[in-house]
Amino acid sequence: MSDEEEPTSRRRLLLWLVRGLFIAAAAVGMLWLFLGYEPPEERRWPGREKVVFWHMWTSNWAEVVRRICDRFNDSQDRYEVVPLTVFGGSLKTLIATSGGDPPDCMAQWEAVIPAWAARGALTPLDTLMPAEEWRALRDRMYPAVRDIGMYQDHFYGLSTGMNVWAVYYRPEYFRQTGLDPDKFPETLEELDALSDRLFQYDKDGRITRIGFTPRWLVHYIATFGGSLYDPATRQITFTNPKNVEALEWITSRADRYGFERILQFESGLSTTMAASWPFISGAYAMVLDGQWRVEQLAKYAPELEYRVAPLPPPKGGKPLACWSNGNFTIIPSGARNKAGAWAFMRFWSGVDKPERAAEFYTWGGWLPITPDVAAAPRYQAYCATYPHFRAFLQIMASPNVQVTPPVPVQAYMMSRLTWAEDAALRRHLSPREALEQAARETQRELENMGIGREGNRKEMLNVK
Amino acid sequence: MARRNNLAGWVLVSPVVVGLLVFTLYPFLASLALSFCEYDLFPPPRGVGAWNYETMFTRDPLVWKSLTNVLYYTALAVPLGIVMGVGLALLLDAKIKGLAVYRTLFFLPSIVPVVATSVLWIWLLNPQIGLVNTLLRLVGIEGPTWLASVAWSKPSLVFMGVWGVGGSMLIYLAGLKDIPASLYEAAVVDGANAWQRVRYVTLPMLTPVIFFNLVMGMIGAFQYFTQAYVMTQGGPLDSTRFYALHLFFEAFQYLKMGYASAMAWVLFIIVVGVTALLFRSQHRWVHYGR
Amino acid sequence: MKHPWYIRLAIHAALVALALPFCMPLVWMVGTSLKEDAQIFPKEVVTTVPEFLSQWWPNPFRWANYPEALRYVPFPIYLRNTLMLCAVNVAAAVASSALAAYAFAKLEWRGRSILFAVVIATIILPGEVRMIPTFALYRWLGWYGTYLPLIVPAFFGNAFFIFLLRQFFRTIPDDLCDAARIDGCSEWGILWRVVLPLSKPALATCGLFQLLGTWNDFNGPLLYLNDQTKYTLAYGLQQFLGAYGGEWSKLMAAATVFTVPIIVLFFLAQKTFIQGISTTGMKG
Repeated sequence: MSDEEEPTSRRRLLLWLVRGLFIAAAAVGMLWLFLGYEPPEERRWPGREKVVFWHMWTSNWAEVVRRICDRFNDSQDRYEVVPLTVFGGSLKTLIATSGGDPPDCMAQWEAVIPAWAARGALTPLDTLMPAEEWRALRDRMYPAVRDIGMYQDHFYGLSTGMNVWAVYYRPEYFRQTGLDPDKFPETLEELDALSDRLFQYDKDGRITRIGFTPRWLVHYIATFGGSLYDPATRQITFTNPKNVEALEWITSRADRYGFERILQFESGLSTTMAASWPFISGAYAMVLDGQWRVEQLAKYAPELEYRVAPLPPPKGGKPLACWSNGNFTIIPSGARNKAGAWAFMRFWSGVDKPERAAEFYTWGGWLPITPDVAAAPRYQAYCATYPHFRAFLQIMASPNVQVTPPVPVQAYMMSRLTWAEDAALRRHLSPREALEQAARETQRELENMGIGREGNRKEMLNVK
Repeated sequence: MARRNNLAGWVLVSPVVVGLLVFTLYPFLASLALSFCEYDLFPPPRGVGAWNYETMFTRDPLVWKSLTNVLYYTALAVPLGIVMGVGLALLLDAKIKGLAVYRTLFFLPSIVPVVATSVLWIWLLNPQIGLVNTLLRLVGIEGPTWLASVAWSKPSLVFMGVWGVGGSMLIYLAGLKDIPASLYEAAVVDGANAWQRVRYVTLPMLTPVIFFNLVMGMIGAFQYFTQAYVMTQGGPLDSTRFYALHLFFEAFQYLKMGYASAMAWVLFIIVVGVTALLFRSQHRWVHYGR
Repeated sequence: MKHPWYIRLAIHAALVALALPFCMPLVWMVGTSLKEDAQIFPKEVVTTVPEFLSQWWPNPFRWANYPEALRYVPFPIYLRNTLMLCAVNVAAAVASSALAAYAFAKLEWRGRSILFAVVIATIILPGEVRMIPTFALYRWLGWYGTYLPLIVPAFFGNAFFIFLLRQFFRTIPDDLCDAARIDGCSEWGILWRVVLPLSKPALATCGLFQLLGTWNDFNGPLLYLNDQTKYTLAYGLQQFLGAYGGEWSKLMAAATVFTVPIIVLFFLAQKTFIQGISTTGMKG
């Protein structure tokens, strides 16, 4: 004890030295753990030009992406694509882009195309290819793919996989109810009548099975023949009479079965993820869903008997219609290796050679960008394995598929449209009033965007 | 000794001073400047004068909606929290057995991480299979759809807030321990019954602590964010779009950083105003006995 | 004063009645984490008391929910990240706040009271005001996507802790410090050998507050982290909620795993914690 209370100055110095070293070591260790260690980059061809590709996929999907990148790297000797899964949604990539350190290309959801293109943050892809190649591609692409990729007069994104929606139904329940599963309704009115018969309730009047309940207005705007935006006048057209009609129909169905009652029933269902999609457990006789369910059902419920049919249109409406979206690969305007990025995107999407891309699209179970990819033998073989997939291909080719209009405030627009649907369903406003209010707000948002950029604001707002 | 103190004092607080400058003063002034700009992360920020403030007051009805929501929440959750906190503390101040156990039970919800309690409450409030509606069904009531209902979503969040009252309860308990026993003895001598002792001794002596919790609770309530972000994302029909949530969406979803800065400044002015009012009201009801 | 037995009984009854809603949800959470999906999602809603009571008890016990939930998210990585953040933040915040609190409580220097008022005033600043420029600052520094935004601020003191510790330090008699000064002790020595050893409960309280704060921090990781290998538990759990929204058994298992360490810690630290708060006092 006395040693510690009166240490000699040398001992004291030593003690402090030891303590200092210890603290320094601990600090360095901590810093290293936190900041330092990034695994050394894996380059198989260090001599080649590097193409950095950011995407959002994990696990199995990331594996598919890696295989496609490997194929590209093996196919030529100039570039090496380095794929990287990046979390944090579009904010992270936006920060990199606006901060001047973007990747060479990245996969994003479609909403970034108009938003970033309007801010000059994207490279027009049509400037990277010869004029005749662009013309040929433009004419070959599925309408939805082209419409999403275009902003004003340029083409900014190439789809890596599209989504379209159709009605999944259970023939078993049709038969139990004395209906013929081979005769799926051809009009929305017939679908309504069928739905009434397929609903089931318990003794207290609670729903135990849903026949069909429409949700997600955008799909019905497409099938009713409405629209969201008029590029010529730059007006939000939520109040298009067809939209109002669609929303009135949606609310009338909810009223019929009881909105709260449906809400309550659906809240008690398990997740909608893959294996536990409530359609499998029999919660729905008919439900509108996307093409990705086909492969999931084959994997998780191979015995389940089900069919797929396009959404039947109302009288005077559009057949083979729904809303469509997808993942798109884009090249930021600050990218270092645009030529390499474009070579990779071209390779993946089969711009030059559809048969090759057909294989990639079957790996992911994705809907391709052009009909000739779908027509390739590899893709046709995939459709033979999953016959229900054909309905989705048929819809993909339809001119009645609608996409979110190319306005730079898409995220806002869609959130307000969802709000309008909710407001009408909850009887908070009439369908017309709800759409009017949402239109007003979206219009204002559109007109106020870029208010500080007096120089190029007109250009952003598409004023010629 | 005073001669060396100036140096030592400033050396010891130097990290705090640097922190104040870098993490408080700079962002504070920068956000004021940004609030007069349009800024979407693509540099540079572009000056727009008072446009953002004009937008808030004349063009964005959601600002008012979110402000009403947060006022609703504050007006219900803060007083309820005080009543519950003081009530529990009074019960726990009694000299009975098993206090430590009770104290832990009441404190438990407030140490459970917010994300976990949010997950738990989404489940408890599930309209079909949740615990709350199941209990109500046992007594023959079909409960509402809680978080999915415009009318019940905010009250649901208030219940959840009151459930986490344990933290302030502990502070009240500490305050109760500070009340000198002599005051109670004097009250007994004067013939005060239990209720009168609470009413005329305990509560007045506790007012400084109540005041402290009121101010902190109010400031916290105005910034209410995480539960709404995790549980409802502002829905249904914007009924849980609280001010801080609206601000967050405007900033990071719609990239209106300048606008969000203006919103933050208005919030700051409101909070300062309410705090000032509370401080002004102090002399009417807060007793600083010492 | 000891209450008569019937008053005590009434207080017990009130406390038990009030405690039920406070702990029942947590019991339910643990119960649900061990159930099978079939028990969680009954085909028909529960309307009778026996059905309801049997609902509480997992039947059968499905322990596999735990490994399955933990397989969905890289739990050990999240735990490691969270623990490291907690360790650094607790050490840094307590140390820097203690230094400042000592200067405010025990030293006299020009500008002390003004600076103290400024520090306390920052408590009422809504975080939102700082959020965007701070975000821009970190981005400019290249700190977006690293832990730095989540740890560096802790090194510059925490206004609430400074207040708490200052109150506590003021209860330590000045004579003690003066005696040490006369013995030739530096200010650093006084803080280290006299003040801090006497203030362990208050320091522990601050440490625990910071620990809870970091453990629960949601906004920080939400804003600044974008790499799954850097996520913390609080943020990871929310990701889990987004990805597996309806898998309640696994969600509850994850929530239980997330909650238990903090409850255990509270049990261990409870006495010090409450002592720290009570002796500090909240009065200005």
